[in-house]
Amino acid sequence: MEEEREESEINLTPMLDVVFIMLIFFIVTAVFVREPGVDVERPVAQTAVDPGGGSIFIAITANDEIWIDRREIDVPGAKAQIERLSSENPEAGIIIQADSESRNEVLIAVMDAAKEAGVADITIAAGD
Amino acid sequence: MARKHIASIKVETEENEINLTPMLDVVFIMLIFFIVTATFIRETSIEANRPDQQESMPVVQEDGAILIIIDNNDDIWMNGLVIDDRAVRPNIQRLHAENPDRPVVIQAEPNSSAEKLVTVMDASRQADVYNISITAGS
Repeated sequence: MEEEREESEINLTPMLDVVFIMLIFFIVTAVFVREPGVDVERPVAQTAVDPGGGSIFIAITANDEIWIDRREIDVPGAKAQIERLSSENPEAGIIIQADSESRNEVLIAVMDAAKEAGVADITIAAGD
Repeated sequence: MARKHIASIKVETEENEINLTPMLDVVFIMLIFFIVTATFIRETSIEANRPDQQESMPVVQEDGAILIIIDNNDDIWMNGLVIDDRAVRPNIQRLHAENPDRPVVIQAEPNSSAEKLVTVMDASRQADVYNISITAGS
C-alpha cells in the first residue's frame, strides 16, 4: 500500500535533465545581436549568401543617416562604435545594411571606419 | 502511543527530501527568457573588399584589374563606354575568360547609389569573379 503511493508520484528527474540541457543550449547560443534599429530597403542581388556567425549590423538609410545599436551616429563616431561592439564580440563580421537609395560616399566611409576599427570581414546586405 | 511515534518519524523523513519546486520555477523562467531573447537573425549579404589606398592605386594603373566606374548619375562605365545593367555580366565574363586572375575593382563616385553598386557586385559574382574591391571616386 505504502509503496504504491510513492510510485504514483511523478519522477521529475528526467524532465529536469532535459530542461537543464535546453537551458544550457539557449545560454550558449544566445548571441545578443544589436540591431541597428531602422528598416532599410535592401538592394537586390541573386548571389547573396548567409555569412554566418555573429555580426555587427550597421544601417545606412535612404537619407544617408548611419544607425548602429539603435542610435544614429555620424561618420567620425562610427569608428568608435564599431570598435566598442567589436571588442564585445571579436569574431563578429560587419554587415552593412545600405538602403538602395543611399549614397556610396557614406557606404565607403563606413567601410573605411570598419577597416580602421580592425574588422576585416565586411559584407553588404542584399536580398534575393 | 507506539503508533503515534511511528507516524511522527514518517513525517520527518518526508520533510528531509529537498523540495525541487522553487528551483524548477527559476529554471523554467530562465529557459523561457533565453528562448524569447534568442533572435536568430538571418541576413544575406555580399562580401566587399576595401583595399588600402597604397595597394589599390597600382592595381588600377597597371591595368591588372577589371575597372568598373559608377558615376554620379548612376551610369556604369566600362572601357570608356556607358553600359547597361544587364551588359555588365557578359562584359566581365569576357574579360574573366581572357585572364581569370583579374580582380574586379569598382570605383563608386560619391553620389552613386548603393543599389547600383550591389547590382555590379552581383553581376561580377554571377560572372564567377569573387575578388571584388570597392574604391572611392575622385
